[in-house]
Amino acid sequence: MKHAPEGRSIEARRSSCCGVLRLILPLLSLLPLSLAAQTDRVTPYIPASDSVVLQLVPPTTDPRVRQFERLRSDFNARPHDSAKAVLLAQAYVDYGRSTGDARYLGRAMAIIEPFMASPTPPIPVMLVHATIQQSRHSFKASREELELILKRDPGNVQALLTLATVAMVQGDHERANRLCVDLTNEAGNFMGMICTASLRSLSGQGKQAYALLSYVEDPGPKAPPEIRAWIQGLMADTAARMGNADLADAHFRKALQQTPGDNFLLADYGEFLIDQGRAREAIDLVGGDAQSDTSFLVRVTAEKALDLSGAKADIAEMNARFQSMDQRGDHVFLREEASYLLHVEHDPKTALDLARQNWQEQHAPKDVRVYLEAALAANEPLAAKPALDFIDRTHLKDVTIDPLVVQLRASKPQGSSVVDSAVIAASASHPTPQGSNR
Amino acid sequence: MTFRRLLLALFTLVIGFIPLSALAHKESDAYLNLRTDPANDHRMHGQWDIALRDLDYAIGVDANHDGAITWGEVQARRVAIENYALSRMQVKGDGLTCDMQPTGQKIDEHTDGAYVVILFDAVCDKNIPSKLTIDYRLMYDLDPYHRGIVTIHSGDKIAGAVLGPGNPVASLDLREPDRWGEFKSFVTDGIWHIWTGIDHILFLLSLLLPAVLIMRRTKPRGGGWRLGAAVAEGSGALMVLAPRSSGYRWEPVATFWPACLDVIKIVSAFSLSHSITLSLAVLGYVHVPSGLVESGIALSVMVAALNNVYPLVNKRVWLIAFAFGFIHGLGFASALSGLQLPAGAMAASLGGFSVGVEIGQEAIVLAFLPIAFLLRRTRFYQVAMLRWVSVLIVLIAAGWFVQRAFDILIPGFSAILPA
Repeated sequence: MKHAPEGRSIEARRSSCCGVLRLILPLLSLLPLSLAAQTDRVTPYIPASDSVVLQLVPPTTDPRVRQFERLRSDFNARPHDSAKAVLLAQAYVDYGRSTGDARYLGRAMAIIEPFMASPTPPIPVMLVHATIQQSRHSFKASREELELILKRDPGNVQALLTLATVAMVQGDHERANRLCVDLTNEAGNFMGMICTASLRSLSGQGKQAYALLSYVEDPGPKAPPEIRAWIQGLMADTAARMGNADLADAHFRKALQQTPGDNFLLADYGEFLIDQGRAREAIDLVGGDAQSDTSFLVRVTAEKALDLSGAKADIAEMNARFQSMDQRGDHVFLREEASYLLHVEHDPKTALDLARQNWQEQHAPKDVRVYLEAALAANEPLAAKPALDFIDRTHLKDVTIDPLVVQLRASKPQGSSVVDSAVIAASASHPTPQGSNR
Repeated sequence: MTFRRLLLALFTLVIGFIPLSALAHKESDAYLNLRTDPANDHRMHGQWDIALRDLDYAIGVDANHDGAITWGEVQARRVAIENYALSRMQVKGDGLTCDMQPTGQKIDEHTDGAYVVILFDAVCDKNIPSKLTIDYRLMYDLDPYHRGIVTIHSGDKIAGAVLGPGNPVASLDLREPDRWGEFKSFVTDGIWHIWTGIDHILFLLSLLLPAVLIMRRTKPRGGGWRLGAAVAEGSGALMVLAPRSSGYRWEPVATFWPACLDVIKIVSAFSLSHSITLSLAVLGYVHVPSGLVESGIALSVMVAALNNVYPLVNKRVWLIAFAFGFIHGLGFASALSGLQLPAGAMAASLGGFSVGVEIGQEAIVLAFLPIAFLLRRTRFYQVAMLRWVSVLIVLIAAGWFVQRAFDILIPGFSAILPA
């Protein structure tokens, strides 16, 4: 890992030699999770001594931190220069994305926000703004803004890409397809192909998608590792969707070689391993980063699947984390929470509620899956109608989803719950404006 | 398209294409708890947990930039942390800003890392708040997604709110407006205001000192008064040498009641006039710059004391009390300045304060009068008390006057007596 991962509650004697400290820090993050489990201390305390380390933050030895400082002083020198603001905000967004630390999205937003006050903000400013909104799962707002950008600058490659992605996440495949065509015209075959392949992969055309991706699998020696990791990740997902586990596994590993420690990849691969009945490997994969909620969620799910002794404490910790997320009031983690309630807490009713709320915003395969699973577990097959209709419309094929569809279509709701679930299904098909009230 | 541009586009593409990336950490939160004190209606105990990561970003806590924030580093930044945080949040009781007093620093562990715990008291000493309002501005300029998770406990009532830049204010009705409690609390304020306001006490004392004595003129007024003698007397320097000055002498009153009546007249006149200006000023009808008021008060003390040394008015001392009472009332009003209370609370606080001032001054009178009456025949009272003390008061008041009117600091003076 390039940066010292953040940990907490680590009591370490400060070494007089910084070099030694630097070596120790990454190891500290591997400290057992028992520390994390007891993190919700009920009462504030006074640490035993001045040298107690309370919190790890990115050190100035991290080149990215030094880059922040350089960009920050550039921006401070010219605080009205939107180009400087965009550079700094973009650096924060990138860092937040790769580490999964959501605080950096807020910091980027604070820098960019003053420039949004103008009736026609500079397009780069709007792009960063839309990217942040999208990263925070505010897809509707992000989409509207990206459409505005494309009205002003129809050939804007980043806007086309981002919008295509949002359209795919929201299940609007027609719009995504048109955007992929525009992208090919504006940015060339390379990106057009990846865009189209991503869409095919979601539309039951996994073989075509995989073939397209293999054309661009090697983007040349000058391509940054993030690009390679991203293509490998898409290939892994596509292979997994087609049921080719070995191939998927190989691609996940290649992706992680490019960007070790990437928060999104770790969670994605971890979930895949649990699906494959390789929960112990999933724990080994994500075990080191208890600080990341997504990695920790994979860990807890795997521990539960294996019925490990440590599961209980970690489940309590995970509950506390979901609780503190709920306290904020905005739910970015609905799908993850639904899946957790289903597989770890075995609470299908609440899981179905959350899956249904999540469905208002997101229609990616994992959203479809948790919706169907929750409907089955709650014995409310009719509640899954919106997702089943979606599958009919998009021809989505996925080995983790297909059997659920078969089960749902075959199952008949038990007696009295027919009316209830029909009502629920009907209400679910009319999205409420803010479906996040629980 | 050049390859370079392609790479650039590709890089942005990576960012664009991973919206599915679930966020690994929750966003920035802080936890603010406020608890009313059952023993003290004016005080709330607060606990504010703020993430070390946020504070490090906002004001820097990791002093040596090694990426590890230690307890020592947190302690070293305690004042900076408290100043930063407490200036970004206001607690208001019925619209009046309460004073924030940090009381301690601790650490707490939340699900996403270590938090500094700022322990503080919000002191709402202007009134007894019936409605509490939190105005929350932490991180508003650094992270629009920061949220303050606020919980207010008042007895068995609990209110919660999630505050942030878009929604910074939360309120809780703590109790039914307690007008009687407010009245009582302002009575205490009024009493203390007069007891600790030494200039008011000296003014009153100067007027009361001669009340147990009667001035008898030994010569007809205006006859044979030489300027030199007057100056000598006025300066006080020669008074010890010439205790029996020409023109008049003091005689003790024969019975208690005339003296008492005299005192009642003085005190009532003072009360009447200062109540008028106190009310007018607090209600906002009159505004006199505080510099002018303070110098006026100093001048009034000087005049009242000088009248004992160089008597011009004896029978109608209450007139001095009445005239200068107006300016003292304006001075009392400064203690209530900034009160923008709802009408009911305003009536309670103003009434309470006035009553308190009265009680405070009656207490002084009650303590003074019997002693003065007993001592009235002694040379100690007639010379030491009446003359020397009055001269001392003149000097002190002159010092105040110079300091307040001309904004000059007399070295050593403030150390002896508060300006």
